[in-house]
Amino acid sequence: MNLATVAVKNIRRHVLRNTLTILGVGVATLAFILLRTTLSAWAIGTENAAKDRIATRHKVTFIIPLPSRYVQEVRAVDGVQAATWMNWFGGRVPGREEDFFASMACDPETLFQVYDELQVVPEQRQAFMENRQGALVGEVIAKQFGWQVGDQVTLEGSLYPGTWRFTVEGIYRASRRSLDQSSFFFHWNYLNERADPLLKDQVGWIVSRVANADKAALVSKTIDQHFDVRDIQTLSMSERAVNASFMSMLATILKALDFISLVVVVIMMLILGNTIAMGVRERTREYGALRAIGFLPQHLAGFVLGEAALIGALGGLVGTALAIPLVDGAMGPFVEENFSSLFPYFRIQLKDVLYALLVATVGALLAAGFPARQASNLRVSEALRRVA
Amino acid sequence: MVPIYYNVRSLLVRKANTIATAFGIALVVFVLASSQMLANGLSKTMGRSGRDDQAIVLRKGSDAELSSGIDLSLVNQVLAAPGVQRDGSGQPVGVGEVVLILAMNRQGQQEQLSNVTVRGTTAEALALRSEVRIVEGRKPSPGTDEVLIGRPLVGEYPGMTLGGRFVLNKNREAHVVGVFEANGSVFESEIWADVDTVRSAFGRQQMVNSVTVALASPAQFTEFQAAVEGDKRLGLLAQRQSDFFEKQSEGSVLFLSILGGIIVVFFSIGAMIGAMNTMYAAVQSRRKEIGTLRALGFSRFAVMRSFVLESFVLALVGGGLGTLASLGMGAVEFSMMNVSSWSEITFHFEPEPAILVRSLLVGGLMGLLGGFFPALRAASVSPLAAMRD
Repeated sequence: MNLATVAVKNIRRHVLRNTLTILGVGVATLAFILLRTTLSAWAIGTENAAKDRIATRHKVTFIIPLPSRYVQEVRAVDGVQAATWMNWFGGRVPGREEDFFASMACDPETLFQVYDELQVVPEQRQAFMENRQGALVGEVIAKQFGWQVGDQVTLEGSLYPGTWRFTVEGIYRASRRSLDQSSFFFHWNYLNERADPLLKDQVGWIVSRVANADKAALVSKTIDQHFDVRDIQTLSMSERAVNASFMSMLATILKALDFISLVVVVIMMLILGNTIAMGVRERTREYGALRAIGFLPQHLAGFVLGEAALIGALGGLVGTALAIPLVDGAMGPFVEENFSSLFPYFRIQLKDVLYALLVATVGALLAAGFPARQASNLRVSEALRRVA
Repeated sequence: MVPIYYNVRSLLVRKANTIATAFGIALVVFVLASSQMLANGLSKTMGRSGRDDQAIVLRKGSDAELSSGIDLSLVNQVLAAPGVQRDGSGQPVGVGEVVLILAMNRQGQQEQLSNVTVRGTTAEALALRSEVRIVEGRKPSPGTDEVLIGRPLVGEYPGMTLGGRFVLNKNREAHVVGVFEANGSVFESEIWADVDTVRSAFGRQQMVNSVTVALASPAQFTEFQAAVEGDKRLGLLAQRQSDFFEKQSEGSVLFLSILGGIIVVFFSIGAMIGAMNTMYAAVQSRRKEIGTLRALGFSRFAVMRSFVLESFVLALVGGGLGTLASLGMGAVEFSMMNVSSWSEITFHFEPEPAILVRSLLVGGLMGLLGGFFPALRAASVSPLAAMRD
């Protein structure tokens, strides 16, 4: 009879209580995984951001565009392989104004050079390049709005007022997570020719691809130095740094989530520790008997800790088993579709599951520390005399 | 009825279990109350910014000042619209403002950029927004590089102190001459500069982002709106200021509420299971007592009610502790990016009697639900069998 068998037998003595405890730990683990998944999903933008892409924008405020001639100058900078540009359009689908998605005017020629993870069927890509009013839309929003290739789509502009008509020429997927699948791209030329004279020949930001990702910081600096003498100065950052900076604006929320996931662990430990403590109290006489027949204090502590670890691990597994269908099956697709701008990818990650299992087990051991001490400190004669 | 004194004594005897369970419920109630206070703080902060006797005009299709742009030539037309209040000399009370956000490094954090709103405005803005009070320094002189900053910005960014200087745009420094408070509204998270200075610094000569006017009376909004939106060629949209600010925070408030809601559902289940376990154990170890009570003539229902009550008391104590602790969060300042305005706003966890009562009740409910099944078991204890144990 080893420790595991003792633990299993002890757990079976209080089926209801231990089932409830395992469920409680399971629910806490589920909440923990949910919080960690949210945090990971947020960080995904940063982790997966391309290291070899640099975004260049107006130095002080991203609202103000750059002159379009800056693109050529960025291309000429040493280390820049290709450069493209975009303008934020901020269009809404009439009648569905609440459904936000990213819409941008781009330069189709160079877009594919810089975003090589943009995957489109060759015929669609060709059609998009050739149609001045063509649009290239991400798979996620195509599904959300029910768009198909060949459909006519109308967007209501905000920064560029008026009604804009497009033909969906292609639906793209991203081969890497460095690009979301919920953007709406269309021709910059179409935007520029219709734009107000004040907004003509201006680009929102320039995206360039560098030959060597390790030199991204250096190239960024070179670009900014180049424009430093001009009236409109620039700020260049690698895509990763842009994402990290965006994340830092949400830092307080992230901290709050982190804190809450700690609270989950404490609640889990309270539920579990309470159950173990009740068990220890009820078994006081039994422990006395065990001590009397020669078991050592550390054996008793081992029994208690083993039982706790098993409950913790089982609870962790139950939580994981609940979390996988809930997050990957239901919540994930829903979040990706409806909150794609915040969470382009919302799926459970292996590291978070392992982390949760570890926390459940270690938390259980810590929570059982006090009752285990009590059990091992029992005086034999007293324990035998005690009425539980 | 079994006296409640019996239950209180029973809880005190099993101190460790009572504390653990109550503490668990306290944590849940604490998180519940805090998350509601946070959402409330955000919406109150935004709510305080908007008044129903003022209106804001944006370009049609924009839902924020940032994305809006109105040709300078239209400002006077808006101010001349019917319904706008006029001052003693017959001038309309209102202001066309330029709004930008600046990327700034927080004090001591070189790598992190935050977006701070700069409002290019005129002296009339102070008259218009009577809640704004200069608490340190003085009013800026018109047409200069002098600016006012909101109290929460002080010390947050380099140069943001009374008498400090910071860069607006290339070769354009701003000089802080005053610090203002605005009754906790969103304006406190802004820098107020001279409208012409901001325009020339950023090459925005031709336009403003919004026009805010005081209405002669709240009822006259309809008249004003009809006049401004009537001419379709202008492409303008008038909103009551209170509605506008409410919409501005809708996204973030919804986000915080959903997040808080989901978390609380899971937490409550956990805490309920904790209470259930504690009560099951209590029933189990008090079988003899229960048998005695029954033998003394207490009905099944009295026993059941007694145990439900015990669980309820336990949960209320926990809930009370949690609610009290959450009040402590009232002192904590929270700043986050507002999704719709792209800029950082600072607000507090704001307690409200309704939130506290609601949280306490949810705590009590966890006790009632958690105690129900164990109480049912207690009621089914047979006096004979129990006393024979």
